[in-house]
Amino acid sequence: MIPPLHVSGVGLWAPGFPDARAFATGVPSPGAVEPPAARLAAALRRRASSLTRMVAEVAAQAVDQAGVDLAGVPLVLGSALGEIACATEIVASFRDEGGLPSPTKFHNSVHNTAVGYLSIAAGNRLGATAVAAGPDTAAMALLEAALQLAECGGVALLLLADEALPGPLQGWGTYRSAAVALLLTAEPTARSRARLERLRRAPADPPAVPPEWRAHPCAGGLALAAAVEAGRSGALGLGPAGEGGWAVDLSVGAP
Amino acid sequence: MPYSGSSMTEQAGQFTCSVVAYSVGNALGATTAEVARALEAGRTGLAPCRLDLPFETATGALPDALPALPKALARWDSRVGRIAALVFDGLAGPVAAAVRRWGADRVAVVVGTSTGGILETERALGEQASLGRLPDGFDLQRQHAFHGLLEVVRELAGARGPAWVVSTACSSSAKVLGSARRLLRSGLADAVLVGGADSLCLTTLRGFGSLQALSSRPCRPFAAQRDGTSIGEGAAFVLLERGADGPARLLGVGESSDAHHMSHPHPEGAGAVAAMAGALAQSGLDGAAVDYVNAHGTATPANDAIEARAIVQVVGTGAAVASTKGYTGHLLGAAGITEAVFAVLAIERSYVPESLGATPLDPAVAVDVVRAGRRVPVRYALSNSFAFGGNNASVVLGAP
Repeated sequence: MIPPLHVSGVGLWAPGFPDARAFATGVPSPGAVEPPAARLAAALRRRASSLTRMVAEVAAQAVDQAGVDLAGVPLVLGSALGEIACATEIVASFRDEGGLPSPTKFHNSVHNTAVGYLSIAAGNRLGATAVAAGPDTAAMALLEAALQLAECGGVALLLLADEALPGPLQGWGTYRSAAVALLLTAEPTARSRARLERLRRAPADPPAVPPEWRAHPCAGGLALAAAVEAGRSGALGLGPAGEGGWAVDLSVGAP
Repeated sequence: MPYSGSSMTEQAGQFTCSVVAYSVGNALGATTAEVARALEAGRTGLAPCRLDLPFETATGALPDALPALPKALARWDSRVGRIAALVFDGLAGPVAAAVRRWGADRVAVVVGTSTGGILETERALGEQASLGRLPDGFDLQRQHAFHGLLEVVRELAGARGPAWVVSTACSSSAKVLGSARRLLRSGLADAVLVGGADSLCLTTLRGFGSLQALSSRPCRPFAAQRDGTSIGEGAAFVLLERGADGPARLLGVGESSDAHHMSHPHPEGAGAVAAMAGALAQSGLDGAAVDYVNAHGTATPANDAIEARAIVQVVGTGAAVASTKGYTGHLLGAAGITEAVFAVLAIERSYVPESLGATPLDPAVAVDVVRAGRRVPVRYALSNSFAFGGNNASVVLGAP
C-alpha cells in the first residue's frame, strides 16, 4: 500500500486569486489578471500558453515555500483537458485552405507542454509526466505522484491545472481557469505543513470549494490547497461527487 | 564504453512483472499475427496520405471504415476509440480472465495517447464553420477528451481499478509501463492493462508538416538520405501481472527530460542517455547485455544521429538496432507500447526485423543497424521513445 505523503509547499493561481491564501479566504484581488510566471525567462514566457504560465506560477510558489530547487523535482501534471485553448485555435485555423499551425503553437498543444517548459526553465532533467482522467484527474495525478514517491522516495511536484473551455466548446463545462501545486515529500521535513494518507475510493461529497468552482476538473486540488491553507484536517473529497469518488485524509500540522 | 548498471542495482532486488498477453494493430494489420507477419516479411504499411493536406506525405493508415463500438458505447464513438476497440479485441480473453481472477477493482488501466479524439473535434468545428453550429451528435467529453477514450477501454475491459491516461506526446505509451510497474510494485493492483492509441488527424499531420519534420515518401530511419518521418495510426495493449508466467518480463522503465527545447532533441542526447541508463539500472543490467534496441528512429536527420550516439554511449555497439517507423509510421501516443510489443515479439520469436529503409546507411551512424532481418536469440530488448517537451522514456524487456 502507499505510505503517507507530506505537503511542504502549496501554490495556487486563478484569475482574482494570486495564491492559496487568497483562494482560502475567498476575497478576490482584482489585480490578479495574469499569472506572473516569473520562473520562465522572458523569451520562454512570451511563447508559453496561458495554461503553461499558470502552471509555472503555482510550481514556483510551491517549491519556494518548501525551499526546494525546481531543477531537482520530478514533475507530475494532472489536467483533464490540457492545452484545450491552443488545440482548438489550431483546429479552427484549418478552415483556411492550406492552413498550417505555427511550429510554436503546435508544440504548445501537447498535454505535457507545461512540464516541458518548466523542465527547460529550471534545467530539470528528471522525469516529467502528464496525466488525465476526467473528473478523477486530481485523484489519479495524486496517485501517480504517490507511486513515484513510494518507488524512489525524495520529492515530487504535483501540478493540477485546467483552463476555461474556449468559446465554441463552452457548452461542455462552465468553469474558470485555475491551477494548484503541492510539493510532496516521502518523509516529513522541517517545512512539512500537512500529511496526506489513505487515498481511496469513497462515496464523497463534492470537493469542499465554493459552488462556482465545483465544476472545475481539478476542484479536488483546489479543495486540498484551501484546506491546508485554512488548517482544516479531515477526510477530503477529491472528486467526482457520489459513488466512484475519491477521498484522502488530510492532517494539517501533523509530521 | 557501454553503461554499467551493476553499481546502481536496487537495494531490495529487482522488481519484475510479466507480460501475460498483448495485442497490436496498425497499418501492418488489425491483428497481432498480421503485424508480426509483415515485420518478418519486411513489408511496409506506409502509403500516400489520404487526408486533405497542402503537401505530400506517406502515412500508416488503418482502413477508413472501422467496426463501430458496441451499442452501449455509441455516444463515445471516435476513430481513436474504434482503433482501441479493434485492437483490444485481441486481448479480451486474457483481460476477462484477469478480472475474474483478481476482481475488477484490482485491475488497473493506464492508456497513452497524444491527441485522443481530436479528429472528432476537427470534424465538428469544420461542420460548425459551414452549418453555423456544432453537429448534434458531437460530445467533447466523450469523443474528444482523453477520459472518453479511457472510458471506452475500461468498459471493454470491465476493469474498475485506478485508471488514467498518460499524455506526454510521443512517449505517452512507453510511460504507461512505468506507471503500471509502480501500481503492481505498490500492491495497489494485481493486474494492469496498459495500452496506447492514436488516430491520424489534421492537427498532427499539419503540425509536423509545419515543423518540416515529414518526408514526402515512406520514412527511412538511419538512412543517409533520410528526410523526415511518416505518421501512422494504431493501438497496442499489454496485460501485466506480478509474478505471472508470460512471453516476456518488464524489467525496467527509465524516464527523463532533455531540459533543452520543446521540439528539438538535446544535441548530445543527454535525456536519451539518462532514460536508457535509468531503465537499465532498474533492470539491474549492464548496457552490454542488451541484444536488441527498438530505436525511436523517427528518420528526422537530427533524431537518428543523436539517438545513435546515445545508444553507443549507453549500450555500446554490440546490440542489433532497428527502427520500426518504416513499417508503421510514427504512431505518436501509441508508439511506445507498440514498440514494446515489437520487443516482446523479438524475444518470443528470436527474430529482429530489418530496419526498413536504412540502406544506404548514414555513415555517421555507428550502431549495428539491422539491414536484413535476423533470426537470433533475444534475451534483453530495450525500446526508446522520445517526445515533445524533451520527454523521454526507455523500456527494458527480458525473456521469461
